[in-house]
Amino acid sequence: MPELTYREAVRDALARALREDDGVFLMGEDIAEMGGSMAVTQGLLEEFGPQRIRNTPISEMAIVGSGIGAALQGMRPVVEIMYEDFLTLSMEQLVNQAAKHRTMSGGQLKVPLTVRTQGGAGWSPGAQHAQQLEAWFVHVPGLKVVFASTPEDVRGLLWSSIYDDNPVVFFEHRTLYPIKGEVPEELEPIPLGKARVHREGTDVTVVATGRLVHESLAAAEQAEADGISVEVVDPRTLLPLDEETIVESVKKTTRCVTAHEAVTRGGFGAELAAVIQHGAFDYLDAPIERVGSKFAPLPFAPVMEQHVVPHAADVLEAIKKTVARA
Amino acid sequence: MAVEVKLPRLGQGMEAGTIVRWLKSEGEAVSKGEPLYELDTDKVTQEVEAEADGVLLKIVLPEGEADVGTTVAILGSEGEDVSELIAGAQGGNGGAPAAAADEAASEPAKSRAEEPRSGSEPQGSLAAPARRPGERVKASPLARRIARERGIDLAALTGTGPDGRIIAEDVEQGVAAPAPAAAPAAVPAGEVEIVELTSVRKTIARRLTEAWQAPVFQLTVTANAVELVATRERMVELLREGEVKPTVNDVLTRVVASALVRHRPVNATFVDGKLQRYPGANVGIAVAAPSGLIVPVIRDADRKSVQRIAADRADLVSRARDGKLQLADLEGGTFTISNLGMYGIEQFIAVLNPPQVAILAVGSIEDRPHAIDGKLEIAPTLTLTLTCDHRAIDGSEGAEFLRTVKQFVESPALAL
Repeated sequence: MPELTYREAVRDALARALREDDGVFLMGEDIAEMGGSMAVTQGLLEEFGPQRIRNTPISEMAIVGSGIGAALQGMRPVVEIMYEDFLTLSMEQLVNQAAKHRTMSGGQLKVPLTVRTQGGAGWSPGAQHAQQLEAWFVHVPGLKVVFASTPEDVRGLLWSSIYDDNPVVFFEHRTLYPIKGEVPEELEPIPLGKARVHREGTDVTVVATGRLVHESLAAAEQAEADGISVEVVDPRTLLPLDEETIVESVKKTTRCVTAHEAVTRGGFGAELAAVIQHGAFDYLDAPIERVGSKFAPLPFAPVMEQHVVPHAADVLEAIKKTVARA
Repeated sequence: MAVEVKLPRLGQGMEAGTIVRWLKSEGEAVSKGEPLYELDTDKVTQEVEAEADGVLLKIVLPEGEADVGTTVAILGSEGEDVSELIAGAQGGNGGAPAAAADEAASEPAKSRAEEPRSGSEPQGSLAAPARRPGERVKASPLARRIARERGIDLAALTGTGPDGRIIAEDVEQGVAAPAPAAAPAAVPAGEVEIVELTSVRKTIARRLTEAWQAPVFQLTVTANAVELVATRERMVELLREGEVKPTVNDVLTRVVASALVRHRPVNATFVDGKLQRYPGANVGIAVAAPSGLIVPVIRDADRKSVQRIAADRADLVSRARDGKLQLADLEGGTFTISNLGMYGIEQFIAVLNPPQVAILAVGSIEDRPHAIDGKLEIAPTLTLTLTCDHRAIDGSEGAEFLRTVKQFVESPALAL
């Protein structure tokens, strides 16, 4: 199987969709000649030309708004919001328009729009360029929300998002772009709403998203050395959520840790905890532990940033808490 | 914030440990990971490390044995008032009466900590469940489910989870604990029959063990059975074709049922912590089925003819032996009769059949010396032993019931 970086996997999915379907086109800030601020769209302008790889003015509201218009007209636009922090500027379009048209029109309209964006700490981007805001969108009926953590997943899920007839907010993580992983020769679409069990275990389930999937896998290795068997599950799609896989896993292990880089309070882990306590109440042998960033704007200073965001050690500590004796 | 240092479970199956000595003294600062005390288990002696930073404010258990989860010390910050925690630990560990706890709470922790340790500290009772009477039982949902499914009382368990929470393993251990397997005797292979417990056998074991916890007392009478036997013989003589031949036990079932409705305290069950006393008697009869003891119920025995009781009994017993009883055949009993007379047992004590509050053990009817009108004669007699749950029945109530049973046995017509 070929090996791709996460960045190349995103690019591969985009290029294949652009080749497959004339209705697919890209819009975003500096995505054409410059290849995007994260170099994801490099080389696409050369292959597909300026009609389909379009630079936009610096207006997130206009980027998403025009994407909605094109989607309503039958195109499958993929728009890029350079940093997910800037999604805040497009909230009106995403929340009040994209998410609502299909139901408000009684199904006469549909919005097959994909909004790609990225975020995440670990490289001192400061408080306004590294937030993890995925939980905001999970609260909005009419949207789908994806957060992929591996090259294989990001490619298969992006393909499915582009071909989904609903608006999808597609989160990528800045620090995952260089990681490498095997992907199938042929692109295999990964259905939205299907979790992935990365590692099987019997003592505690860690439900993790984004970068924390990798931190959790590292924590699981360390826990193994202490005789604790950890199962790691990545929901991959936050909305719709594969509740069954997650609940069944916790029923098996009887303990659970949720882990994401977003701040803990009001984070997606809270939703997971609610789903799990309801679905697996009689199976829980310990309170569900949540791992996330400390409740603070992300500091610029590297040492402070490292202090605020969670790492494998935090996941390991939470794992140990769930299996703790007195 | 102060934390309680609890005796840890260091390995599977560890129930208790013995503190050999403390490596830190009260008032000394300790950091997380530092050896705190030496613990002796049935396998090893090892140093137990502090799980948090702080000052060792109080050593609750200086040395000696304690159950897993017992609070052995309090760790906190210097000068912190932990008198309540100490009282809780000592009271909760089963020792100090409430008054002592109050006294402790009203005293500053420091002065108490400085007092020379008196010999009256409740070391010996530290092993009791770590909970005050009426205190909420902390247990994980999983532990609660397992306990519910197996009919285990959580209040009797000691939790080893954080804050003394009972976790699943504690329930599993708690179940396993009462049966410390004696080392199997050395017997040549092939001579020992290993019998796996059937679910019926397990249910019998669980229910009877539960019943054994009840405070019971027994009352015994011996009755002249001449009339009882004669009545039964007369009934057999008058038997019509196709009818089931009544046994002495069928007649006894009928007269006991009559006595039960006249003495409702005995004709009762515990339901949700309350007693339900019944106006009608559903009498369970203990049957030795191939799968084990089973107690099908003859409903409304106080309102049935002996003939009808005999028919019901024959049906139930044959179905019990064929393993074809339904759950409905076994439910709703208000009293149980256990008869071992056919084996020549003269008298015995039956174990309660919860939630019922009494059970009658019936011995054999045999010709025995018996004083009648001041003269020693030989007469068929039988001995009846009533086991009563003292939580529901007082001695006088049981005695009155048994007196009526004796009257009815001796003059069955009175039971009408």
